[in-house]
Amino acid sequence: MNAATWKEKLSAIRDSFSVSIAKKPAGNPEALELHYLGRKGELALLLRDLKDIPLEERKELGALGNTAKQEMEAKLSELKGAAAGAAGPAVKADLDLTLPGWPFPKGSLHPLTHVMNRLAEGFLKLGFTMADGQLIEDDYHNFEALNFPPFHPARDMQDTFYVDAKDQLGKPMLLRTHTSPVQIRSMKKQDPPLRVFHTGRVFRSEAVDASHSFAFHQIEGLYVDKGVSMADLKWTADAFMKDLFGSAVKTRFNPSYFPFVEPGAEVDMSCIFCKGGVNAAERCPVCKGTGWLELMGAGMVHPNVLKGCKYDPEKWSGFAFGGGIERFAMLLYGISDMRMLYENDLRVLKQVQ
Amino acid sequence: MKILYSWLSDFIENPPAPADLAAKLARVGLKVEEIKKTGASFSGVCVGQIMRIDKHPNADKLALVDVHDGAVTMRVVCGAKNIAVGQKIPFARVGARLSEGELKKAKIRGVESEGMICSAAELGLEGYDNSGILVLPDTTAVGVDAVTLFPKADYTLEVEMLPNQGYALSHYALARELCLFYGLKLKEAKVFEGSAAGCLVPVNIEVPDLCTRYTAIAMTGLRGARTPEWMAERLRAMGSNPKGNILIDGSNYVMYELGQPTHCFDISRLEGPEIKVRRALPGEHFTTLDNKDLKLDAGMMVIADAKRSVALAGVMGGLETAVSDYTDAIIIESARFNPPTVRLASKTTGIKSESSYRFERGTDPELTVKAARRLAALILEAAPGAKAEQLTDNYPVKYQPPVLAISPERVNAILGTGIVDGEIFACLKAFQPDLKDVKPWKFTVPTYRQDIESVWDVAEEVARYVGYDVIPSASHMPMLPSAVTPLWTVTAEMKNTLAALGFSEAYNYDFVSAREMQACGLEAAGAVEVRNPLSSDYQYLRPTLLPGLLKTLRYNLNRGRDSVLIFETGVACARKDAGKAEETHCSGLMFGDFPEGGFWKGGQARADFYHLKGMMTRLFAGRSGFRFESPKKAPAYFQPGLCLEMKLGGGSAGYAGRLAPAVAAAFDFKDNNIFYFEVPLACLAVAGKTEFWQKVAKIKPVSAFPQNWRDLSIVLEEKHGWAEMERSFSGVQDLASARLIDVYKGKNIPAGFRSITIRFTFTSMTGTLNDADVGARMAAVLEKLIKNFSAKLRS
Repeated sequence: MNAATWKEKLSAIRDSFSVSIAKKPAGNPEALELHYLGRKGELALLLRDLKDIPLEERKELGALGNTAKQEMEAKLSELKGAAAGAAGPAVKADLDLTLPGWPFPKGSLHPLTHVMNRLAEGFLKLGFTMADGQLIEDDYHNFEALNFPPFHPARDMQDTFYVDAKDQLGKPMLLRTHTSPVQIRSMKKQDPPLRVFHTGRVFRSEAVDASHSFAFHQIEGLYVDKGVSMADLKWTADAFMKDLFGSAVKTRFNPSYFPFVEPGAEVDMSCIFCKGGVNAAERCPVCKGTGWLELMGAGMVHPNVLKGCKYDPEKWSGFAFGGGIERFAMLLYGISDMRMLYENDLRVLKQVQ
Repeated sequence: MKILYSWLSDFIENPPAPADLAAKLARVGLKVEEIKKTGASFSGVCVGQIMRIDKHPNADKLALVDVHDGAVTMRVVCGAKNIAVGQKIPFARVGARLSEGELKKAKIRGVESEGMICSAAELGLEGYDNSGILVLPDTTAVGVDAVTLFPKADYTLEVEMLPNQGYALSHYALARELCLFYGLKLKEAKVFEGSAAGCLVPVNIEVPDLCTRYTAIAMTGLRGARTPEWMAERLRAMGSNPKGNILIDGSNYVMYELGQPTHCFDISRLEGPEIKVRRALPGEHFTTLDNKDLKLDAGMMVIADAKRSVALAGVMGGLETAVSDYTDAIIIESARFNPPTVRLASKTTGIKSESSYRFERGTDPELTVKAARRLAALILEAAPGAKAEQLTDNYPVKYQPPVLAISPERVNAILGTGIVDGEIFACLKAFQPDLKDVKPWKFTVPTYRQDIESVWDVAEEVARYVGYDVIPSASHMPMLPSAVTPLWTVTAEMKNTLAALGFSEAYNYDFVSAREMQACGLEAAGAVEVRNPLSSDYQYLRPTLLPGLLKTLRYNLNRGRDSVLIFETGVACARKDAGKAEETHCSGLMFGDFPEGGFWKGGQARADFYHLKGMMTRLFAGRSGFRFESPKKAPAYFQPGLCLEMKLGGGSAGYAGRLAPAVAAAFDFKDNNIFYFEVPLACLAVAGKTEFWQKVAKIKPVSAFPQNWRDLSIVLEEKHGWAEMERSFSGVQDLASARLIDVYKGKNIPAGFRSITIRFTFTSMTGTLNDADVGARMAAVLEKLIKNFSAKLRS
């Protein structure tokens, strides 16, 4: 057999294969495989004939033969797939596949945990290290060291629960009214620079309603270093908010008052619901039509606070910012009544993924 | 604080419109929470009388009404139900300006209406019944312009005041802020400018450290002087109830206007007459204006006459020297009291007044004379026959305001801004017009701004002046590594595992009642008590998370659930003589069907002890040294004999078991199959041990050869526990696992004994084990069981 005849034969085999495989309804793929590619199949026999062909031509023809073989194999496997599915021949269904599967138990984390984790992550990304705190505090750490002097009206901002224990000065111990005592404890423990945050439960002696609770959660960060300014604070608060609510949100500062910072600011975020529409008419009830949501308090650490912690305010400066976690959770989960977060209704909790 | 727009406007030339004014205040940190329109601003409306009512020919719900306006009678269409012949009503003629705009001539269902009978809403009036037309009193004269019947149009602004804003607690003070920050021109109130040389009442300050200034004006010829209607109207708009007596109302008016509380004493009732400012005597009694008897102490400052206290300084005046309609001669007090002293007296006596509110926040020492003179002017206006007899200004040590050296560089460094020097100087000059431009600027703090103490405070004023938006968002913060606490790491691990096991996380309050503690078998004496609880339900800090979880269980069972898996992490507080009272616990309970809701093929069960134990095994998986032990002393709420202690190394890792029947009963659960666990997280949150690199364990190699297994059934005394048996297998060659597959008691097993079937699996690292190899190893196992537990092969 010479090369030309061989090529003709190959061509004939391919054509006849193409015709067979395109037949409707399709033939049995196993039979086709045997006929063409089997040990005594047409193509196999033809390939065996190559031995009679001179070496220099044999290479070229061999390649042609292999290509044809691969094509045919591919087509056959396609046909097999169509006939039987990838996993092999179907079994006659003796299972009702519509019935429910085994109910693997599904638990859930509380929405406040999810939000707290996310907020903590936000702080960690910005280089803040977590600090520990305690719920039962003394007057010094909760008030005095934070520049709430005794008999100052600022103390009216936070109605306080007292417990039946006394501190070293004989003053009644109290349940912390904010997470800020951790600022004092951190600065007293560590020399500057420091960048810490804390999150946890706080208490205010207030009646419970849709937006108030006598126990709730806060998160706050503190950074003290050389040359820290309000611009750093603004950048950090902005980065923090964008991390949580997306890069489209805007933040703004308004003058405000917290005894332990000066200058003090309230951090507003553009309303995530109405996107702070340009016209009043486009705005929503969540932001009360202002286009802004009050979310955090912030400011430069008050020199009296620094001094009290033996940090020289002429040398070191810092900022602090933080907010209530319930407020974030209510916005994110669309909860309008804070009490829902403490009812522990499993119908609610199990919705949270 | 309530502010009247018209009153505020008295002090500003060309005042901004209400909305603009509110925005301007908010920008400088004085948030306006609400703007409310008050009074009447309509025109073209007169008082009319309904003469006749006919049915509308084309509409059942409308009527044709003849209204007489004093001159002519007009026919109008009216839809209100509350009309009646003879009523006096506000009648708007065509062209009248109402809340919705100008009233036009209209044909209503084919009948022309020559005007409109108005409701309060149509007139733009707040606070009236709007269900129908506004019916006026019978005594109203027909034809009168109706706008004269109502207070003038105005706005009230509710401004949120922060504790440091003592400098802004009046109309004048807010006007001053607006003028200062927005370059508006401030106007002054009319004051009494005369002099009076007499001395009817000598004034003596015995405590100059507590009362730094006492200004007094004595006046006579006041009998029967009444409050003018314009003043009463403003006080009403402020929510204050005018008494009609100018001496009382005028004093309140001046406080709202200027921020300086004043008080008028009736001279005829003063012993002496004289005024002394002193500390209260221990045990001294005092009767307040509102007839409350107070027992005073030496921490309080009083105003006294020759014999007794006549006012609790800065808080409230006394009943016995109060002015009345018969008062002819008064002495006006306008003083500067030490803020903490006033606050202490207010706190101790529980009396909060508008006066103490302002004194606590610090009043301007330079305001006393102006306020006294303002009140005198108002009194003289209301009582033309009156006369000022005495003007005393007792000011032992003049207040010296601090002078701060301010450099623009420092202000910019605090704010992170590049505000030009000129702008910072302009801000300071707005506060202090005579400030010289020599750096560092010697800034004299205004006497009304006692909150400004340092350059940080000044930086805030500059930021308010230029606007907080000028502060750029720019970070110069170096990178710093961050870390979480061991407790946080452990808490997160526990929470995630429990959630993966099917538990839902609950958040309960930290407070429990005495009854709940008792129900858990706990002594109240061991708990931390809240001294001022909101109610007895919240009297103690929880010493365990159990009560909250039981409440959560109850809540959900009541809502139709029959299976509850919940957990919580939180602080448990115990009173301890030494050491930390706060422990973070991770606690949870399971109750009901497991898995919840069952499975259609079966395979569900009621949650039992072994579910709980299995959960705990999973919860502590991978923690070295973990084991269960029979507790020496478990908390009282566990059922004895159905509780295990978890151990980590030598320390306790909490307890797990069934709740004591008494606890379940005390919480009204009929089924006491409530399985509870409690893990104090401190045992896991060991510093340095929670970091990732510390926790990862080296992976042990596994055998490449096949494994063989044999089951072994033995009979042994019941007293031998499985954990004991398991431990005894250690050291058996090539033993990969020993798994308990059956426990049997009953027929053919003697009492006190049980049959145990164990599946032993062997595999070797070095080769395939043949039957003889496995047999030899099984013989070793059996020998241990016989030796340690006197076990017998079950035949």
